[in-house]
Amino acid sequence: MSTPKIISLDDMAARVPNGASLALGGSFLHRGPFAFVRELIRQRKTGLEIIKQSPGYDLDILCRAGCVAKARAGIVAMEGNFGLAPWYRQAVEHHQVVLEEHACMTLTAGLRAAAFGVPFQPVGGVHGSDLPSLNAWASVQDPYGSGKDVWVIPAIQPDIAVIHVNEANELGDARVYGTYNWDRIMSRAAKQVFIVAETLAPVRSFTDRPELTLIPSFMVQAVAVVPNGAWPGSCWPLYEVDYPAVAAYMDMDRELSLHMARAPERQERVDA
Amino acid sequence: MPDHWSGFSYLVTNLARFIRPDEVTFSGVNSTPPMLACLLAKRAYDFDFVYLNVAGGVQPAPSTIPISSSDPVLSEGSTAIFANEDFYDLCTRGGMDLCFLGAAQVDGRGRTNVSVIGDWHNPKVRLPGGGGGAVMLPTAQRAVTWRTEHSTRTMVETLDFVTAAGGLSGVVTPIAVFVKRDDRLALQSWHPDASLDEVRQRTGFDFVTTGAATTPHPSVDEVAALQALDPDGQFERDANVTLR
Repeated sequence: MSTPKIISLDDMAARVPNGASLALGGSFLHRGPFAFVRELIRQRKTGLEIIKQSPGYDLDILCRAGCVAKARAGIVAMEGNFGLAPWYRQAVEHHQVVLEEHACMTLTAGLRAAAFGVPFQPVGGVHGSDLPSLNAWASVQDPYGSGKDVWVIPAIQPDIAVIHVNEANELGDARVYGTYNWDRIMSRAAKQVFIVAETLAPVRSFTDRPELTLIPSFMVQAVAVVPNGAWPGSCWPLYEVDYPAVAAYMDMDRELSLHMARAPERQERVDA
Repeated sequence: MPDHWSGFSYLVTNLARFIRPDEVTFSGVNSTPPMLACLLAKRAYDFDFVYLNVAGGVQPAPSTIPISSSDPVLSEGSTAIFANEDFYDLCTRGGMDLCFLGAAQVDGRGRTNVSVIGDWHNPKVRLPGGGGGAVMLPTAQRAVTWRTEHSTRTMVETLDFVTAAGGLSGVVTPIAVFVKRDDRLALQSWHPDASLDEVRQRTGFDFVTTGAATTPHPSVDEVAALQALDPDGQFERDANVTLR
């Protein structure tokens, strides 16, 4: 069932040039393209720009491995009982990574501008926050006379959106069970879309229920099938967060290689 | 009536008391106490309200209570997935009655800093960032936050950075409940084991105290609901909230 769109995880990561901007799907420890992120580390990518409303493990491990030049994010944390993302925090405090701090919805407004094909996009709220002056955002007065001022966010167009999904088919259609977080708007904003899928499903199952498809195949450039690829995070309803693995990752005295070696995408290669 | 009202129970119970009948109420990421408060209110109060959460849940009935307040299990039993763009747009168009938001520092005007300790460009501590705050705090009908530490480091005269403005409607700490009055935070009540003096001493901003009194003890139903949500006390231990 091999088609040009279905490629290995290695080949998918190899298509990412150094310095690329990547929108990563999911939220915190849930349904992130974490196997893909680890493959970027194995391939020693540098200068990446990470775009995500609520990154955690993904941005943290990329900072830990020195792959990131810039992050555009709304809230960065490991969440649960883990608190701050330690290597991300260190990278920002030591000026190794440039942060463009957003509210989740201002980042989304930027993605919406790109998705809508307009240079900027209004966003509700933000009034009174220091974020606009920090980012040199402009506000406009309603040209239709309500007298209201609205903040406008410049377009944010990622080079590639990488989305971890429950199921894809050989053509590249993809669907998610449970919340799709911000993945829909990411997929519409980005120049290219890469899908990492837990499993392949028959095309027929998509034609039977096309309304369940989150991302249609014509927008997708590549699909990699990686079971358990959101580890150590969750992928609803297949598996939950592997909290002991996250705790081991957070151990500052423990080598990153130990964590990387435990990853499911490595285990399967060893088994094969 | 319990002999000792733990800081954790005080926090969760008083967050729940901000929830009103038939209103749309939202709990977000990184927000275990509000998640528990919403689930407590569903069990303890004899009124209905529309519970939305960041996992896309609409009136969910989760089979387990997750460690992560964004865990997809929080959409279990939901009849719809109301995903991130949906609930933010609902909020900015005025449809979110009560929104729980996180904060590291809170000032007397009910503004929050979740961004940084120190100068933003030269941070002493880079904090997570405000997530929904800058958009939701000024647009939700009411926004409420909590702090597990009540001190002059967290309840400050001057924020290191204004992540979100617009005026919180409520702040709950382990020893006090503040509400919005004339665009300032005013003391509503304090923990029965604390005192007005202690709250004053441990708060960095000035506040009015007119009508303030000790917080009513948790009801039998509130105690039972929290006990059902945290039967072995794991959430309470993880939260590690102390009065002082």
